[in-house]
Amino acid sequence: MKTTNPQQRLLALISIPAFLFLVIPTAIVVPVALNDSRYITFPPEGISFAAVAGFFADRAWTSALTASLQSAAIAVVIGVLLGATAAIGLHGRKFPGQPAVVGLILAPMIVPTVVLALAFYQFFISIGMVGSIVPIGLAHAVIATPYVYLTTRASLAGLNPALVRSAQSLGAGPLAVLRHVYLPIILPGLISGALFAFSVSIDETVMSLFMQSPGATTLPVKMFTDIQFNLTPKIAVSSALLVSVATIGLLLQVMFVLKRRSSTRMLPLAVSAQT
Amino acid sequence: MTASVISAESIPGTGRAAQGAIELRQVSKHYGDVVAVDGLDLTVQPGEFVTLLGPSGSGKTTTMMMVAGFEEHTAGTVLIDGRPVDSLPPRDRNLGVVFQNYALFPHMSALENVEFALRMRKVPRAERRQRASDALERVGLGKMGGRKPRQLSGGQQQRVALARALVFNPAALLLDEPMAALDKRLREQMQEEIKTLQKSLGITVLFVTHDQDEAMAMSDRIVVMKDGKIVQSGPPEEVYNHPITDWVASFLGDTNLIPCTIVERNGEEAVVDLGGLGLARVRDRGASGENYAVSIRPEHLKFRTRATAGNGCAAALVSSTNLGATVRHRLTAGGHELQLRELSSDRGTRILPDEELWVGWDADKAQLLVLES
Repeated sequence: MKTTNPQQRLLALISIPAFLFLVIPTAIVVPVALNDSRYITFPPEGISFAAVAGFFADRAWTSALTASLQSAAIAVVIGVLLGATAAIGLHGRKFPGQPAVVGLILAPMIVPTVVLALAFYQFFISIGMVGSIVPIGLAHAVIATPYVYLTTRASLAGLNPALVRSAQSLGAGPLAVLRHVYLPIILPGLISGALFAFSVSIDETVMSLFMQSPGATTLPVKMFTDIQFNLTPKIAVSSALLVSVATIGLLLQVMFVLKRRSSTRMLPLAVSAQT
Repeated sequence: MTASVISAESIPGTGRAAQGAIELRQVSKHYGDVVAVDGLDLTVQPGEFVTLLGPSGSGKTTTMMMVAGFEEHTAGTVLIDGRPVDSLPPRDRNLGVVFQNYALFPHMSALENVEFALRMRKVPRAERRQRASDALERVGLGKMGGRKPRQLSGGQQQRVALARALVFNPAALLLDEPMAALDKRLREQMQEEIKTLQKSLGITVLFVTHDQDEAMAMSDRIVVMKDGKIVQSGPPEEVYNHPITDWVASFLGDTNLIPCTIVERNGEEAVVDLGGLGLARVRDRGASGENYAVSIRPEHLKFRTRATAGNGCAAALVSSTNLGATVRHRLTAGGHELQLRELSSDRGTRILPDEELWVGWDADKAQLLVLES
C-alpha cells in the first residue's frame, strides 16, 4: 500500500486548517441556533428547536424574513433582465465608448456600498418613494445587475456567431433568436447570475439600513439592530437560515451543472453506413 | 428516396414559384477605407451551380454574406428572382445557408434542427415532423433524427445542415466552405453528393471556397475573385485551360509560365515569340497588358520525338518524381525550367536517350495571358 507522499501531507497540513478557518465561523451559528438557552452562548448547553420555533412565531422576525425575500425577488428579476440583456446586447459588438458602457454596468461592484446607500436614500426621498420594500429591492437590483452581466457574458463566450445567422436565415426573428439561440446557451450563466443576485440582496445590510422603515426591515437589518440590545438566539436562527439558503442555492447550481454536463456528454458513436 | 419532399414547388405562403435567380449589380462593400468587395456584377441563373473561388481576403465570403443579408452592402443592388432584396432582413430572403462549421443548434436534435425553419414558418406540428424526417431521409440520416449534433460525425452534421437548409424550399442554397472541416476522402464524397442533390432538385447554388479542386469538381461556372473583384468567370474547364492572367493560372493549379512577346494577334489565335523556345501558335482571349506569358499546364506538355509536328523543342531532363498516380518531370528547354506531368501508367512507353528528348504541346492547350506582376 502506498501511503501519501510528503508533498500531499504538507498540502493537507496547510489546507485543512485554512478550510476550517473559513468554515467554522459560518457553521458555528447552527449549533448556537439550536441551543437550549435564552441567550446566545457557546458551546451550546443542549439541543432544542425552541429558538427556531420562537423565530417563526415572532412576527417581527418573520416580516423581516418576508421583506428580505421580497427585496431579493425584485433584485433577481430586475437584475437578470438588465444584466442578461446588457450582456447579449453588448456581445460581439464594438463601438466607440463601449468600455465606458461596460464600466458603467460594473460600477456598482466597485463604488463603496455606503456611498450608494446615501445616494439611493436621497434619491428615493426626493421622489417620495419611501416606506416600502420596493426602493430597497430596486437598490439591490442595481448592485446585483453586474453579477448577472458578468456570468451571462462568460457563458456567451462559447456562442458560435454563425448560430445567430443560421437561425436568421431559417426565418427566425429577434425574439425567436433570443429564445432558441441565446437562451439555451446563457441559461447556466443566467442561473448562477440569479443566485448571485439573490445572495447579494439577502446579504445586503448598509443600503437596507439607510432605507429601512417599519414596513421594510430586512433580515440583516433586524439582526443588526437586535444585536445591540436584544441578544436572543433568534439572531443565530436567522444566521443559520441565511447559511442554509446559501448552501441550498449552491448545491442546486452544482446539481444543475452536473446534470447538464452528463446530458450533453458525447455518446459512443454508432458507425453509420453512410459515412 | 423521393425528390418530391424537397423539390422546389413554391415559397410557402407566397404562392409564387421560387426560380432562384440571383443578381448582383455593382455591389460594393467598404469597411472604412478598406474595400472588401468592389463594384461586383454577377448573375446566377436559376438552377446554376456557381462557385466564388478566391484566396482569403478576396471578398468571396463577404459577397455571399451580402446575398444572404448578414452583411449590408455599401453600394449597388442585390436581386433575387428579379426583386431587390436590399432592405429585406435575412429571415425574409428565403435562402438556405450552410455555414463552414454547420452551425447546428447544439441543444436540439437533428430532427429539431431540420424542423426549425418550418417551425418559424408556423407549419403545423405533424406536417413539419413529416417534412423534416423526409428531408433527413433524403440525406441518408433517416435513423439519426433523435441525435444531438455532438453525437454525429462531421459528415453527418454536414448532411443535417444541408437538410435543414433545404427543407423549407428556399429560392437558392448558399454554401460557405461547407467541406473545410472534413477529411479529404469524405470531402470528395460530399462533393459528389451535394452535386447530385443539387441536380436532382434543380436548385440554384452559390458556393464559396478557396479550394480550386472543389470548385472544379462541382461548379457549372467558376467566378475567380481577387481583391474584391472578379478576375475571370466561366465554366471550370475554360477557366482552368484558358486563364487570362498568370495569377488565375497559378491559383487554379500548377502551370508553366513562359514569358513571351506577341508577334501577331489574330482573333482566337496568336503567334508569340517564346525566346529560346522559338515561335509558337497559342490560344488568345484578347487580354491586354504590359507583359505577356504563355501558360501550359504540366499535363498538357508531352514527350515527343523530333519528328512529331506542332509546337515543341528539345529538352533536357533534370529530375523525375513519382507522385503515385502521376509522375512529375522537371526539364530545361530553351533556357526555361518546365514541368511535365504524365500518368504513371504512361511512363516507360518512352525510351529515348536524353539528347533526343523533345517536349511539345497542342496549340489549343497553350494560353496567352497577361503577366500581372
